Amino acid sequence: MTKTINLTLKVWRQQSATIKGGFETYHASNISTDMSFLEMLDVVNEQLTLDCREPIAFDHDCREGICGQCGSVINGRPHGPEKGTTLCQLHMRHFNDGDTIAIEPFRAKAFKVLKDLVVDRSALDKIIQAGGYVSVNTGGTPDANAIPVPKEIAEKAMDAAACIGCGACVASCPNASAMLFVGAKVSQLALLPQGKPEAARRVTFMVQTMDELGFGNCSNERECEAECPKEISITNIARMNREFFKAGLFSSTR
Amino acid sequence: MHLDAKIPGGPLADKWDKHKFELKLINPANKRKFEVIVVGTGLAGGAAAASLAELGYNVKSFCIQDTPRRAHSIAAQGGINASKNYQNDGDSVWRLFYDTIKGGDFRAREGNVYRLAQVSGNIIDQCVAQGVPFAREYGGLLANRSFGGAQVSRTFYARGQTGQQLLLGAYSALSRQIAAGKVQMFSRREMMDLVLVNGQARGLVVRNLVTGEIERHGADAVVLCTGGYANAFFLSTNAMACNVTANYRAYQKGALFANPCFTQIHPTCIPVHGTYQSKLTLMSESLRNDGRVWVPQTVGDKRSPDQIPESDRDYFLERKYPSFGNLVPRDVASRNAKEQCDLGKGAGETGLAVYLDFRDAISRDGKDMIGQKYGNLFQMYEKITADNPYEKPMMIYPAVHYTMGGLWVDYNLMSTIPGLFVLGEANFSDHGANRLGASALMQGLADGYFVIPYTIGGYFAGTQLPKITTSQSEFTSAARTVSDRTQRLLSINGKRTVDDFHRELGGILWEYCGMARNDEGLTKARTLIQSLRSEFWENVKVPGVDMDLNQSLERAGRVADFLEFGELMVIDALARRESCGGHFNEGFQTEENEALRDDDNFCHVAAWEYAGEGKDPQFHKEPLVFENVKLTQRSYK
Amino acid sequence: MNWFVSMLGSSIGKKLMMAITGLSFCGFLVAHLAGNLFIYGGRDAFNSYADHLHSLGPLVNLAEIGLLTLALIHILTGATLFYENLRARPDRYSVNKSAGGRTIGSATMPYSGFFLLFFVIFHLFNFHFVDKTHLTIFDIVSKAFSNPIYVIFYILAMIIAGLHVSHGLWSAFQTLGANHPKYMPIIMMVSLVFSLIVGIGFGFLPVYISLIA
Repeated sequence: MTKTINLTLKVWRQQSATIKGGFETYHASNISTDMSFLEMLDVVNEQLTLDCREPIAFDHDCREGICGQCGSVINGRPHGPEKGTTLCQLHMRHFNDGDTIAIEPFRAKAFKVLKDLVVDRSALDKIIQAGGYVSVNTGGTPDANAIPVPKEIAEKAMDAAACIGCGACVASCPNASAMLFVGAKVSQLALLPQGKPEAARRVTFMVQTMDELGFGNCSNERECEAECPKEISITNIARMNREFFKAGLFSSTR
Repeated sequence: MHLDAKIPGGPLADKWDKHKFELKLINPANKRKFEVIVVGTGLAGGAAAASLAELGYNVKSFCIQDTPRRAHSIAAQGGINASKNYQNDGDSVWRLFYDTIKGGDFRAREGNVYRLAQVSGNIIDQCVAQGVPFAREYGGLLANRSFGGAQVSRTFYARGQTGQQLLLGAYSALSRQIAAGKVQMFSRREMMDLVLVNGQARGLVVRNLVTGEIERHGADAVVLCTGGYANAFFLSTNAMACNVTANYRAYQKGALFANPCFTQIHPTCIPVHGTYQSKLTLMSESLRNDGRVWVPQTVGDKRSPDQIPESDRDYFLERKYPSFGNLVPRDVASRNAKEQCDLGKGAGETGLAVYLDFRDAISRDGKDMIGQKYGNLFQMYEKITADNPYEKPMMIYPAVHYTMGGLWVDYNLMSTIPGLFVLGEANFSDHGANRLGASALMQGLADGYFVIPYTIGGYFAGTQLPKITTSQSEFTSAARTVSDRTQRLLSINGKRTVDDFHRELGGILWEYCGMARNDEGLTKARTLIQSLRSEFWENVKVPGVDMDLNQSLERAGRVADFLEFGELMVIDALARRESCGGHFNEGFQTEENEALRDDDNFCHVAAWEYAGEGKDPQFHKEPLVFENVKLTQRSYK
Repeated sequence: MNWFVSMLGSSIGKKLMMAITGLSFCGFLVAHLAGNLFIYGGRDAFNSYADHLHSLGPLVNLAEIGLLTLALIHILTGATLFYENLRARPDRYSVNKSAGGRTIGSATMPYSGFFLLFFVIFHLFNFHFVDKTHLTIFDIVSKAFSNPIYVIFYILAMIIAGLHVSHGLWSAFQTLGANHPKYMPIIMMVSLVFSLIVGIGFGFLPVYISLIA
């Protein structure tokens, strides 16, 4: 049954990357508990627009938890308090009437705030560009069934590949480390036979790029794993570490 | 205007090979002298940009999102078709071709569809080589499942995230080319205008969505991979940023728009539950493999579904279509759901839902097996509705999902503007009046990986392309038009928000140009849209400034185009005096309430030419010639 | 060897150094605790253990140099990581809340580490760099722990050491890449038990000594 609640929002407002931001307080009234968090923000923005104030800028696109574009820190939790949930899939039924909600952007040196809650996550693209691919050109590939892949391996690779690149792992990590993101991609491709030929090169360059971009160092706090909307496991980080040592000690990649 | 589809001659099976041979080649050293703009980074755009760069072309790729990994192709759940016949169940290129043509209600080109079926297998090979983790059997070989509109198992899948995995495959190939310096990536850019020089597509004017700057980019050809226009309906399963602006601008610059009224309503979506709702969520059609669709037998039965005994349930799809049952094509499933709800048998508070029940499948295969197949979909459903589908049947209702119509292209995927190519959902070519499940991913990747790399070379080899600069008058005037329009939107300062207008437009289209249409409603819709449009330009309120990250301004521009484009959809729907696939005009139906085609008069592509602001578009016809299949009344009984 | 330096200098390389040095310290703690257990044997047992140990001569010096090297690596790398990690998030959140991944041990690693550094220095000046010509080691120890402040400080230090190890031990395995669904739960359990042994094993000694003294 639909019910409505009233909320106080403390939202981070920042005009641009170079201008210092701060919190502003808004009231969200008559919010249906069936709404998603972003729909609640839509309602607030509609009111701000009508009141001749500038709406809150926030990133979002698919609103079904798969594109990875949305994400803010809700009361200290990236994507909010629900486990395995993106912000667009967080529903207001998880909040109570009268709650005060603090909404901040993902924060990391590698993620610059562009405006309000919108951040620049292109650093994650740069890491993928450093090696998060299999070097095959279009065409000329063998038949899809030519190389059997054990089901268990395919499933593990899929577990890692489920990453939506939202950056919540970085946002939740006390050290703003991107190890879960990188570990997931390295794992996916290191597990599959198709990715093995360039595994050493891949892990070396991806880790190197990650370090250059100003992400922090992993200290195994496991916040990333607990916060990841796709519940990607830190076993992927362990696998990346193995791959990294193997590449460093036994391959000719420098 | 004569519409020449340039379908190669000869037997159907040889057309593509023959055409590939006949297309002139560009030698590798010369390829790097050409520059190609690709707009959009979904399956078609990502695949095209990567493949063209691999060949040696210099590519500029644009996307509206913050990174090229987020386009809405990512949300496709169920799978991708390919005629591999790995299951030994009688599949073949011919069967996939036939299923697709028939599924499209005989309103697609034979030549294009056959090519699609031919390259479908290569797509799977390509994706596997990229490291896409498709589902596998214990023996390590690829697994398949069946899907709506087909009686063979030819759908490859990666859990419920097939679109995501395929897109990440294309994104990885694209990333590799970005790193190699062959693709220049421009994200958070929105295409605002297409620039023609001497009648050829030679560049773009884009808006930098972070700074608000208007940028100009020149090239030797432009490839639009900008997706569909389902968001004209406001509520659809498309992502929030999906829009028609790029395609509409091409249309205004002279590209013909084909079959805009062909929109697909997907049967298995989570029902609407409030006016504030911003989008609809699709549950993969694959659910219909194991889920049974039903409503209560009697009108007004408001018992909770577990209280309704077997004898009081009507499994209406199984009853009406014994051979396909719950796996009838999307349009048939959707229309039947609406019909049941219109009869008053709908489920839930709103009465606008039918049940999709897994009880029998769970007792047959066990909860684990069903969980393995659909676990993430069930989880998603529970997240949104707070109901557990393992215990309580899902409630579903149709929602706008895909648009078969799009910019008119020939066999080379080139529009009526030389040098403007259109790929994926943005073109009209392969799905006719209705698209089968698991075919959108196939088409996007086929166009991007396996068609455009050949056909663009043929264009370059046979075309004189004079040198241009972005400071010449065509670019300057396009940039000025864009700035003027932006200023105009910002200066109205009316009383209604952009979303408010969008919601009203969506309501009009859903009501009168949705699942079932009639002449009276369509005529009314046209007037309503016209008056809404004029109100928009007098009363919309767009806050903020242009040189800034301004999301209201972005939406305002898109809604302004939807308000024009919506009318084109209605005009096309009115002109098509038949029912076929996704276009169901109540005036044209069989006695069993099925779509009644008029093959004598409407076996054609309706392509519309922009005639100027406030003028009715001009109609052009491309007759569809069927040499290999016999046109039949689609029957899934 | 350029490649070796750049490998160790990477974020994962630094973790590797923390893990290997940390694990070595865990090994040292086992030996140290085993030695300390002689205290329960009384004054003579403990003194004779100490004499035996010192009779090893150069081996002891070698071990000391080894430990010092490990300590320097652990401390310097740890300090670098701490500094880099602070810099990785220049603007902090106004609300901080854990999703359930952190433990008290993991969240306090740098701080417990700094504390342990001071403790170790203090401990060495207390019992190692002292004039042992007139007093036996047992006398030194029992004299020290006759002061209740010393006892409390040592107990506190051992709780913190236990805390540090509770995260450090399993974490070292994770860093080395040894995370397997079958064995990780065992490693986690062993870490917990080990940290309890360290905390209680070392922590009870001052209490015991102060009681008999």
